[in-house]
Amino acid sequence: MNVVLTGIHRSFGKNKAVDGVDLQLGTGVFGLLGPNGAGKTSLLRMLATVLPPSSGEILLLGRDPRRPAGRRETRRRLGYLPQNLGYYPSFTVVEFIEYFALLKEMPSSAVPKAVATAVERVDLGAKAKAKLRTLSGGMLRRVGIAQAIVNDPGLLLLDEPTAGLDPEQRVQFRALMRSLGESATVVVSTHLVEDVGAACSEVALMSAGKLVFRGTPGELTARGEGHGVGDAPLERGYSAVLSAARS
Amino acid sequence: MISPNEPGRPPSAHDSPGGVDLGRVWAGVAAEVWRRHPGWLERTAARLLRSPGLARALLTTPSLLLPWLISTVVVLGIGALVSLGPGQPLVWLVAPAVAAVGIAFAYGPGIDPAWELSSSCAVSDRMVLLTRAVAVFALNAVLGLLASAASGAAVALTFGWLIPMTAVCALALAAAVAARSASVGAAAGVAAWVITVLAGQTAGGQLTASVTNAHAYLPYLAVAACCAAVVIYATRPERGLQ
Repeated sequence: MNVVLTGIHRSFGKNKAVDGVDLQLGTGVFGLLGPNGAGKTSLLRMLATVLPPSSGEILLLGRDPRRPAGRRETRRRLGYLPQNLGYYPSFTVVEFIEYFALLKEMPSSAVPKAVATAVERVDLGAKAKAKLRTLSGGMLRRVGIAQAIVNDPGLLLLDEPTAGLDPEQRVQFRALMRSLGESATVVVSTHLVEDVGAACSEVALMSAGKLVFRGTPGELTARGEGHGVGDAPLERGYSAVLSAARS
Repeated sequence: MISPNEPGRPPSAHDSPGGVDLGRVWAGVAAEVWRRHPGWLERTAARLLRSPGLARALLTTPSLLLPWLISTVVVLGIGALVSLGPGQPLVWLVAPAVAAVGIAFAYGPGIDPAWELSSSCAVSDRMVLLTRAVAVFALNAVLGLLASAASGAAVALTFGWLIPMTAVCALALAAAVAARSASVGAAAGVAAWVITVLAGQTAGGQLTASVTNAHAYLPYLAVAACCAAVVIYATRPERGLQ
């Protein structure tokens, strides 16, 4: 198991962002669905070792990130795309990805080829030497994806990765996620249920800081038969589970 | 976006009949074309800091324009206050803390747009901040040396504040690299600075006066409260991202 969470809580003042989450994840693409404020981003930030849990146990890639050595080792094999990723406008695409590859302590000799491979995988070869300030929002998102995958991570955390991508790029990105999920644990937080249906082998739904559903996209779809609202079967399953959780 | 291992992917122009992975070959070519060749300064820094990532952070510090401007204004402003004024010992002791808070805010969660991403990397964000502090003081010290040719005030600022603080930050970074801990480095820097200031003040006979002067207590408390407030604000968890 690459991710083992036991009784994870995280509070901000009186607000419980994550409330007693237990989760075990192996390789594959895992979708995290839920409405705004459900706690998806807080959970993802804890998995990224950016935010410590208020209580509970976390094991990532077999290591305890509360210990400095375990945290450092975990971070070497971690890829993270935050929801609001900022950029250094004066950096080029290659410089930005290379900078984070070095901060992830990749061997210097392996960095140029890893950067080139990541740039090509997100189809930004034509813009490799362009300054980030000259890129569109969708291109910047792809730069963020490239820096997340540059170290060939064992645990890849993507928060709203398809925001800003056009439909063709989203289709290509789902294929990339499936490919990455063959050898790594990919956790994708998203509002877009079609991304989950197309790319994820498993899905969880969060509401008010709790996991209220876990299963395959097919099982989520089945929950919506005869219930729920939405245009697509998966959306109906999503709304049916949410309604049940709230009631 | 290309996913070479995608199951069921149809044959493409990337695949040659001989089984050569042209995608891999192209990545090798692109790596050579796009490769950045670090200069001697970056290579030396990478060896000294035992980290190419920290060396890159050191060299790119001035290129992050807004953080650079803010931290330079803070450092020069505090330097002007302490080196050109009468100078109480506790002011000298608090001044580096205020400068450090300013740099940490500018290159930390306050301003740095990619701070959260940096915080998830193997190289500690605090080590990166120490490196940034060295870069800020060192480059301003160089500029101060150049300005010293034209101005007496610049001489006092450079030799009384910028150069000593560059040395203290460099010592802190060296200790942090040796101990693999930013906290150890910061402690070493603080200790070195406190010993230097107190030794100088004790020799000059000013230490007792600065501690017993009741008029100075309120400003001391105000500065300490401001520093604490900035530290709490700069290191707060972001509540809006839940």
